[in-house]
Amino acid sequence: MTKPRAIGLVGALLALALAGGGVPAVSAQGANLVVQVPAEPPGLDLTVSPATAIGAVVHYNVQECLVKVDEHGKLVPWLAERWYTTDSKNYTFFLKKGVRFHNGREMKAADVKFVLERAMNPETKHPHRVSYERIASIIVKDDYTISLALKEPSANFLLDIARQGSVIYPREAVDTLKTAPLGTGPFVVSDWVRGDRIVLTRNKDYHVKGLPHLDRVTFRFIPDANSTLAALKSGDIDVSAFGLGPESVDELKKDRRFQVIVGDTTNDVILSMNNSKKPYSDKRVRLAITHAIDKEEVLKGAMFGLGKILGSNVDPLNPYFVDMSKAVPYDPAKAKKLLAEAGYPNGFDAVLRVAPQYYYTVRTGEVLVSQLAKAGVRVKIEQIEWGQWLSQVYKEANYDMSIIGHGEPWDISNYANPNYYYRWDNPEFRRLFKESEVTVDDKKRRGLYAKLQKMLADEAPAVWLYMHPRLVATKKGITGIWKDLPISSLDLSEVAWQK
Amino acid sequence: MAALVVTLFFVSVLVFVVIRVLPGDAALIILGTEGSPEAAALLRRAMGLDRPFAVQYLEWIARAVAGDLGRSIQYDVPVASLILSRMSVTLPLTLLAAGLMVATAIPLGVFAATRHRRWGDYLAMILSQLGVAVPGFWAGLLLVLLFSVRLGWVQAGGFDGWGQGVWPALRSLLLPAAALGFFQFAVLARTTRSAVLEVLREEFVKTARAKGLAEGAVLFRHALRNAMIPVITVAGIQLGQLMAGSIVLETVFYLPGLGRLAIGAISARDLPVVQGVVLFVASMIVLINVAVDVLYGFLDPRIRYE
Repeated sequence: MTKPRAIGLVGALLALALAGGGVPAVSAQGANLVVQVPAEPPGLDLTVSPATAIGAVVHYNVQECLVKVDEHGKLVPWLAERWYTTDSKNYTFFLKKGVRFHNGREMKAADVKFVLERAMNPETKHPHRVSYERIASIIVKDDYTISLALKEPSANFLLDIARQGSVIYPREAVDTLKTAPLGTGPFVVSDWVRGDRIVLTRNKDYHVKGLPHLDRVTFRFIPDANSTLAALKSGDIDVSAFGLGPESVDELKKDRRFQVIVGDTTNDVILSMNNSKKPYSDKRVRLAITHAIDKEEVLKGAMFGLGKILGSNVDPLNPYFVDMSKAVPYDPAKAKKLLAEAGYPNGFDAVLRVAPQYYYTVRTGEVLVSQLAKAGVRVKIEQIEWGQWLSQVYKEANYDMSIIGHGEPWDISNYANPNYYYRWDNPEFRRLFKESEVTVDDKKRRGLYAKLQKMLADEAPAVWLYMHPRLVATKKGITGIWKDLPISSLDLSEVAWQK
Repeated sequence: MAALVVTLFFVSVLVFVVIRVLPGDAALIILGTEGSPEAAALLRRAMGLDRPFAVQYLEWIARAVAGDLGRSIQYDVPVASLILSRMSVTLPLTLLAAGLMVATAIPLGVFAATRHRRWGDYLAMILSQLGVAVPGFWAGLLLVLLFSVRLGWVQAGGFDGWGQGVWPALRSLLLPAAALGFFQFAVLARTTRSAVLEVLREEFVKTARAKGLAEGAVLFRHALRNAMIPVITVAGIQLGQLMAGSIVLETVFYLPGLGRLAIGAISARDLPVVQGVVLFVASMIVLINVAVDVLYGFLDPRIRYE
């Protein structure tokens, strides 16, 4: 054989191999749904890790709570068909009858007691143990009635009971929570190919009649945004849940094969500052930095204009949200004046530590660098890996400024904690927050939340830049996906292919 | 053999120290921004990370020698079984990439050498220059755009497992293998070309031609075989690099291979998995080097090992 012919043969074989079978191997039609998620869950146990990657697969789909946060952010009865409290201190939950775990056994009040007691036990290392430690006593009145007494009133207790860490599971299956969790949800974990996918199948005994619509859901772990786009376009996946960047939205909207959902989230992207360190300990400097930032430009430059501008640390999905976005407006002249007053007429140098694992942090940082430079604040971006960010910035508060999205709903509580990495210590705020926690009356509580938000805007312990938008792309014909994301779960119980 | 053990010992110490010196705390990463410092401290103790380094190392290495690499923190399954299951993707991917690389690079290199300073040579070298210049992940994305998005011949990524049959499994590895092999192909083609060129200038080639041998026989029986030593050396090194390159391409093609296992484990500080994977890959590379050394002996009978 001559050499050119040898090369030609290899090429031909390659072409033949590629031409081989026709359609992609993963079928994605009918009552099956293939969903892209960017990260593989680090185990499936919601009671040991608060990772959103676990919540996306397990919470609402496999395991459920007594109370549910619905798609509008409202707390609705779920495994508890109703509850009763007059003082936000003593709660009685009446369980829905006939709810069966995936192993066939009926859920009873004793299961709820077991779950809560286990969460309170330090040995189980529940990430939100503090929330459950408020419980003083648990009394099982009968199989379907359970009463809890808290040590002091807590207005947010129902929210704690609705969080992903409060899922109800059968006590006999506690050892398999990490690999094959059992629950009461619309789907059952049927297969987990480590590194590739998790497959859920329909729970035929689901306690909500007529649901779910899908027979089978496959979660595929695709970390890269470009690969996600290619997978969507080639038909390998039906839904991209969290993997697309704002730059893909226009292109996908123009493509008739797809629909794009742009909604709200609880994810507040924040320029955090180290309030325990000079010059950020000076309120005038913090306000100057806020005045120096044109948030409209930030949103355009970093997020293609998608998302909403914030002015305080309550997200638009929160019922107590007050629009504070105009409270400290863009005003470079005022920024310079404030800096001069604080003793920095020539500005100062700062390091902005960000973790590129979250794409928006670097993009946002780059816009901020040029804006802050105009006010005389010379910022250098330092990119560090997520693990280092958690150690250096979050744990040790060894930083000047940072950018990160805070996705936890109701996380205004962080400002009442002087040890949080903002290192902001304000007794008046703490007092107000504490009052809001023990205030039962909704109107009064709303008033307190308005005060808290205004106080944050006035004191500027951080700069609240924008709410990260929810960006979901699906094939045409898929219905039932939440528009907004008041809780970082991916409820697929009502998702269906349009007939 | 002794060298092998010493190498692996140093690798094991290095990986153990490096992963622990890195800033970043496994417990903090597991708990994320919602975890309290108290919960992190409890978790650290439960994972045994509060004990002295030396104790942790000795315990780990003693078990590793017996074949027990520990349990993954995030998956709660034995590390060895994780590595084995991921090798069912990475090994065929690497071998396929190596096969494609050798099957294209060596003929192209020989072709270029025989067309020295003519159009064929220039064309072949431009092609291989392209291979050196285009990064694997980019080549991978371009291949996906053409073969998956435009033509719909193969899936854009993922791996459905060998249970679906050999052909579907191989097919889902073709694009990543091509992208992975492309860069290394370019290097190997250039090595082959220069090695063959050098041999073609030797006296014994002139003699072979003078005694009237056909050009094909001169090329394959005399020139190529003698040019093989540097080619095999480079190919051996490349096999190791292919394994390393698979880390990037497994991410682009979202394949559940060893590379992605390593990346995920590093960012999650899943220490037993990181240690296990690095030790395993290091052993593989040491073994490849041994195999290359043995191959020398077959190619050149003058090379013998005591």
